[in-house]
Amino acid sequence: MDTAIQIVVSGLTLGAMYAVSTIALSLVWGSLRMLNMAQGALLTAGGYAAYTAVVTLALPVWIGLPLAILVGAVIGALMYLLVVRYMLGRPGFETNVIIGTVGIALILENLVLRLYGAYPLQQPIGLPDGFQVGATWVPWQNVLILVVSILLMVVMSAFLERTRAGRAIRATAQHQRGAMLMGVPVGRVYIQVLMIGGALAAISGIMLSTITTLAPTMGYDPMLKAFIICVIAGLGNINGALFAAFALGLFEAAVQYFLGVRFGFPALLLLVIAALIWRPYGVFGRRKQARL
Amino acid sequence: MIAGLRSTARADWLTGLVLLAVAVALPFLFPSRYVVGQLTLFFIWATVVSQWNLVFGVAGIFSLAQMALFAIGGYVTGMLALYLDVSLWAGMFVGGIVAILLSLLIGLACLRLHGAYVALLTLAVAQVMYLLIITDTECFMKQGVTCINFTGGTRGLARFGDFGFRDWLPYSLVPLGTYFLALAVLAVATAFSIFIIRSPLGLAFQAMRDNPGYATARGISRFKYQLVVFAASAFFTGLAGAVYAGHFRVMGANVLYLSLLLFLLSMMVVGGIGRAWGPILGAGALMLIDEGLKELVEWRLAGLGLILVIFVVALPGGLAGALDGIRERFARRRTAEG
Repeated sequence: MDTAIQIVVSGLTLGAMYAVSTIALSLVWGSLRMLNMAQGALLTAGGYAAYTAVVTLALPVWIGLPLAILVGAVIGALMYLLVVRYMLGRPGFETNVIIGTVGIALILENLVLRLYGAYPLQQPIGLPDGFQVGATWVPWQNVLILVVSILLMVVMSAFLERTRAGRAIRATAQHQRGAMLMGVPVGRVYIQVLMIGGALAAISGIMLSTITTLAPTMGYDPMLKAFIICVIAGLGNINGALFAAFALGLFEAAVQYFLGVRFGFPALLLLVIAALIWRPYGVFGRRKQARL
Repeated sequence: MIAGLRSTARADWLTGLVLLAVAVALPFLFPSRYVVGQLTLFFIWATVVSQWNLVFGVAGIFSLAQMALFAIGGYVTGMLALYLDVSLWAGMFVGGIVAILLSLLIGLACLRLHGAYVALLTLAVAQVMYLLIITDTECFMKQGVTCINFTGGTRGLARFGDFGFRDWLPYSLVPLGTYFLALAVLAVATAFSIFIIRSPLGLAFQAMRDNPGYATARGISRFKYQLVVFAASAFFTGLAGAVYAGHFRVMGANVLYLSLLLFLLSMMVVGGIGRAWGPILGAGALMLIDEGLKELVEWRLAGLGLILVIFVVALPGGLAGALDGIRERFARRRTAEG
């Protein structure tokens, strides 16, 4: 029984962390057909921005956190203005944008490395204390991460379903040229989505760093896991991503417990590959009619 | 059209022979150990990039597993030598064949997918390989008091010897052994990649890119052709890995670092994705840039990133594309005058 509780607790925490990183990726892919390889670097930048605001500038947490989230959004906007804008509508957008965002990720990573050094830093923000379930200790911080991730997911779907801006994003996702002809400012939609993606990445960076540490490459691993989750959920499917994140988090926790920590990620990958052979467009993804 | 093809084929052969002659002469003009070592490394990277270019630029598979295939070639060669006393010369070909097998596995799992999905899964495969190597702590073999992990773990696989040029060549010429071996592998790999690019297989890929509907209707199977190119290029990539292992006499998980993968990606992008001579141009350019930025080593990553962004935005055809553009403009002027 204790084993089961332990697995569920660590699985839910893993799942919640994956979920937050996954929403941003899913949103950007789903609406812009753009695989953002700078997602991990944005996540790192968010975590470090919070550290700077709270430790270096000694700002209170309730100012520091929004500031860090704003930094994420600004980097997202800059990505559009300086790079993505020039690739839009040109042949090979899907692969070019992957290479371009890899370049942005390298620049950001190098900046963080030069500004803060390679040594891991301790993120000062976070809830203290926790509570006991059976023999398992559950920190409040993990509960907070779980709540925030679900909340973000709900807010994002409400935004996409119910607001004018959300409708413009969905229209662009469905048919870019059609949306343009209907008077949707597609350029503005892109910049909005990238800003929201940057802000979400910053949030997940902050949350991630509260239970691990800050390091210049901390974003890479969560990004890769988030990618895998997006793939299994069907790229761009936000609700499916939430479910897949928790399912895979629990699966990974169980594998880590029974087979050892080093087999967590390999087992995850095998499962994903098996699932993709069975359903090439993701377990929840809908097969798109190929247009020739 | 046929005449055009024939003239490009002749131009390719001429370019290849000239480059080969230059490469043979270089170590005698600049006999410093450092230059020869860097050139050897250049040949190894150019081989990998030429094969990656086939997979990505020609067959349109956005695979990021290239360094995983490279690593398996090197590791298999090293392990065979260390555990079974197989010479590196024989091990090298086993390494290449194991790389083919791995590529078939990856290909069967990933090639039914498209674009971004392939990139993600292949990147994950490479990362899993990296994690399995660096978390390998179990004792596989005792050598004296030290314990050797099956894959060498974080310390890397060492003490498996080299290609044995020490026994055949005078001391001052030893580095030239791996130099010419790497050059030979690059020459064969480049000839293979140009053969594919200009062959009916290359035309099939071009057809699939330009008009997928018509190509499929004519009975061209995307999956089959992609798998063939993916596996064939894995062989040369594995060979390059084996040469790398023999050159440095050590094989470590550092070949699976993301930064190295991106360094090679930059070579492909700068040289020109899908262009026949792009990989060699790009590898040369990036090695030179890297050499020039030695003093700014702490900004190396940002420099790479900037190069990637600039090229993909401003020069998506790369250096080879720019050269082609210049040549075409001249040719047009000539026809206009004549």
